[in-house]
Amino acid sequence: MIPSPYKASSGEEGLATGLTKVQAGIITIIILVAVVAGVYYMVTQGREAEKPVTVELTGDFETDVVNIGKALAAHGIKEVKYTVWSGGDPNSVMRVYGIVEAAARITKIWGDKGVDVKITVTTRYESDPKIVYSDYISKWTLGQAPDIMANGYVYIASLAEEGYILDLTPYLEKYSDFLEDFYSALVDAMKYKGKIYGIPQDTEARPIYIRKDVAECAGIDLTGLADKVKNGEFTWKDLYDLALKAKNAGCAEWGVIHRKGSAHPDLIQFIFAFEGKLYNDATGKLVLDKEAVYKWFATEKAFADAGLLPSDMMGWDWGKQIHPTVVNGKTLAFIGGVWHWTEWQTKSYYTDPATGEPRPLTAEEVHDFFYYTLFPAGEPGKKPVTLSQPYAWMINSKAGYQNPDFDKLKDLYLKLAFLLVVKASDPDINAIHSIISSHLPVTKSALNLLRDSSWVADLVNLPTIVSGEVKNSISDIVARTANPINVAFLEDATYMLDYTTFTPKHPLYPKLAEFFAEAIDKVLRGTLSPKDAVDFLVSKINADPDLKEAVEIVGEIPSGWSLTG
Amino acid sequence: MPKSSVFSSKALHGFKQFVRSEASRFLALALFLVAVFYIIPICISVYMSFTPLRNWNIDRYAGIFVGLENYYRFFYLLANDPSVKSVFLTTAVFVALTLAVNVLGGLSLAIATFFVNERAAGGLQLLWLLPRMTPIAVYSLIWYYFFHPSSIGTINGILYKLGLISKPIDIGQGIIPWGAWAIIVFVNGLVGVSYGMIVFTSAINNIPKELVIAARVDGASNWDITRKILVPMLRWHILYVTTWQLLSLLTTYDHLFLLVKWGLVNRDYGTTWSLYIYNTAFLTGLQDQGLAAAAGVILVIVSSILGFITLKLMGFDKLIKPPRGDL
Repeated sequence: MIPSPYKASSGEEGLATGLTKVQAGIITIIILVAVVAGVYYMVTQGREAEKPVTVELTGDFETDVVNIGKALAAHGIKEVKYTVWSGGDPNSVMRVYGIVEAAARITKIWGDKGVDVKITVTTRYESDPKIVYSDYISKWTLGQAPDIMANGYVYIASLAEEGYILDLTPYLEKYSDFLEDFYSALVDAMKYKGKIYGIPQDTEARPIYIRKDVAECAGIDLTGLADKVKNGEFTWKDLYDLALKAKNAGCAEWGVIHRKGSAHPDLIQFIFAFEGKLYNDATGKLVLDKEAVYKWFATEKAFADAGLLPSDMMGWDWGKQIHPTVVNGKTLAFIGGVWHWTEWQTKSYYTDPATGEPRPLTAEEVHDFFYYTLFPAGEPGKKPVTLSQPYAWMINSKAGYQNPDFDKLKDLYLKLAFLLVVKASDPDINAIHSIISSHLPVTKSALNLLRDSSWVADLVNLPTIVSGEVKNSISDIVARTANPINVAFLEDATYMLDYTTFTPKHPLYPKLAEFFAEAIDKVLRGTLSPKDAVDFLVSKINADPDLKEAVEIVGEIPSGWSLTG
Repeated sequence: MPKSSVFSSKALHGFKQFVRSEASRFLALALFLVAVFYIIPICISVYMSFTPLRNWNIDRYAGIFVGLENYYRFFYLLANDPSVKSVFLTTAVFVALTLAVNVLGGLSLAIATFFVNERAAGGLQLLWLLPRMTPIAVYSLIWYYFFHPSSIGTINGILYKLGLISKPIDIGQGIIPWGAWAIIVFVNGLVGVSYGMIVFTSAINNIPKELVIAARVDGASNWDITRKILVPMLRWHILYVTTWQLLSLLTTYDHLFLLVKWGLVNRDYGTTWSLYIYNTAFLTGLQDQGLAAAAGVILVIVSSILGFITLKLMGFDKLIKPPRGDL
């Protein structure tokens, strides 16, 4: 038998005995040093955290800012860094630049008072706010989440539940005057289990836009329609008839189109328009209202079957399909939001009939093209609705973590982050955001500013903005949108808030909302009937023990109901 | 001579011997990398699957032990959730069909190119390597537009021009489930074919030419040569490619992720087990890492069993037998 070539010969025994004593010794020393260094680090960190520095808030903004600035300077801090993230439509960039501007204003106060500290803010703005939320969650434990995030209030429940955002209630005790300027319904939306976790940043209504030119082409008279909708005299069945008329007359390719991807928040309006429930206040549970959800599905299905609503609607592209279809008049109606009003004025969705080139609409064109109403009642006897999803400025419970001596100066960093948000709620910052992004103002003082025509007329130069970065970033949008027509639109659409509804603040609501999106997609594509889609939802809820526990399933699928009668 | 290896019945003794051996030093770096990038993550995943970890809240949940709760939830979902059921059906169909395409396609290509002249063979093989060389996003985008359910889609455009259809066909969303399955098998199959092709081609080139020449002299046809010489000589390579592709198909999700995200294929019938794990951990409204980890651990177990069965069926033990030494 020949010796195995893989085995060392006996002459190499010395090499073949594995690690030598020296090697083993080196490895042991490395491990020991690592362990000792780790323990030392933990012990010293702990010691430093023993003596945290605090500053009491007085409720006077300038005093508080100066006190914090002086305390920071006394500990050798020259620069405080914060990160702010947000997302949404392209015009809502003040959701991050508001904080940049607030930082510039606070730095200016410090400069005036001889405090040598400055704040620098890093921003990130995404088109999809859900990605911002997902990243916030996944980066939080890693210590890479932003210090401040502006996002839908609907995320407050899960973020507060996980301890990822700061409870602002104790800070706001000293700032009650500041809080009173906000509309109380919006402050209520910021609460979770009795505590306030966010400061309202904006809110909105979701009108149905109807193309005036398409209606005229089809011989549809829109006079007084908004009032009929308001009184519940015009329902989804009536909109269906108008859509059919417009399509049959060859005036539009589609009757109505809506958002893609998600059912939350726009399509949830259907549930409320059929007087369905999504949340039970008494039990604190989510609700699947089978009757209302069935009617929602059946309504959309009726539109899709008649070729009035694309069957692949949930897969359309916002920039390439949805907006161009709306602004080029290829649909009679669009389930949109107030912010689209100015988005159409800044993004090149419109194809100019004269040149064939894409360009944004002007304020005058938007005004001439679009009629708007509330979301009609689902059926006679029910009420019209709209849905608001206030944005909230939320503060990381570890805000300021990227700055030196965080354990010792944590209180200062957290309070400074809070004061940044307070400053970012200045009336002019909020009013600028409202004008350029067509969101409704959240404070009474911002609304008053919007009503001041001389302030609006002077806005193009952004006289109150301190930060050069903010000026540069928003001047183009301001130039296109700071227009009395847009202010009038905001004023005119504000009545819709009287009819507004909210989605539940429940940690599992985002999960339920995803199921709705899956179900309506299947209904529109024809893979499930409205009835099967409701059963699909029931089985998905029952298949998840957590959700089964958290959701009440109420009502029955009505037999023989159809939109068209 | 006593047989000494880590596979011996006295595992501890074998392990000690391995540590002392020269092989342990030779393999130290590789073993270190395997430990850091495979063993430790697997241990963490197993640990996570016993915790209620969600929304990445490691500080809060990583210390809580919930026993088999996540495994129970996983099987409960599998039994009751229609979407999860479709995901597993899709995984089975996807892996079986794509594996067949990968292995048989690679084999056919290697054999076909064996019989054509070398220059043409090189060009043909390069062509088949393109899917593997193209970045995932670009490659997926190509097929996205190819199958797009509108007149901009290549297939629909051609059929429409030929007058065979009056309105676009939505293969991935409209023909459920086989349309969606056809697309994902097609797209992944094309990527995998080149792998088998390269392995089989190089193996065929190592088959002694005399065998083929002798067969030709005896009047054997291409088919006879394939059946009687090439395939039997490629047995071990077929075993290797099958096992390798089986395991990688069970864990692949990159192309599928994009095709589902872009809406080209139905979500339920375009999502496989590994993509489901990714979605559950990172994307859903409630990011459920405990559940995802449990699903991942079960996937590892299933993959191991399937890999073991494949090796057994194809006689892997015969492949690794030491040389008989009767040279």
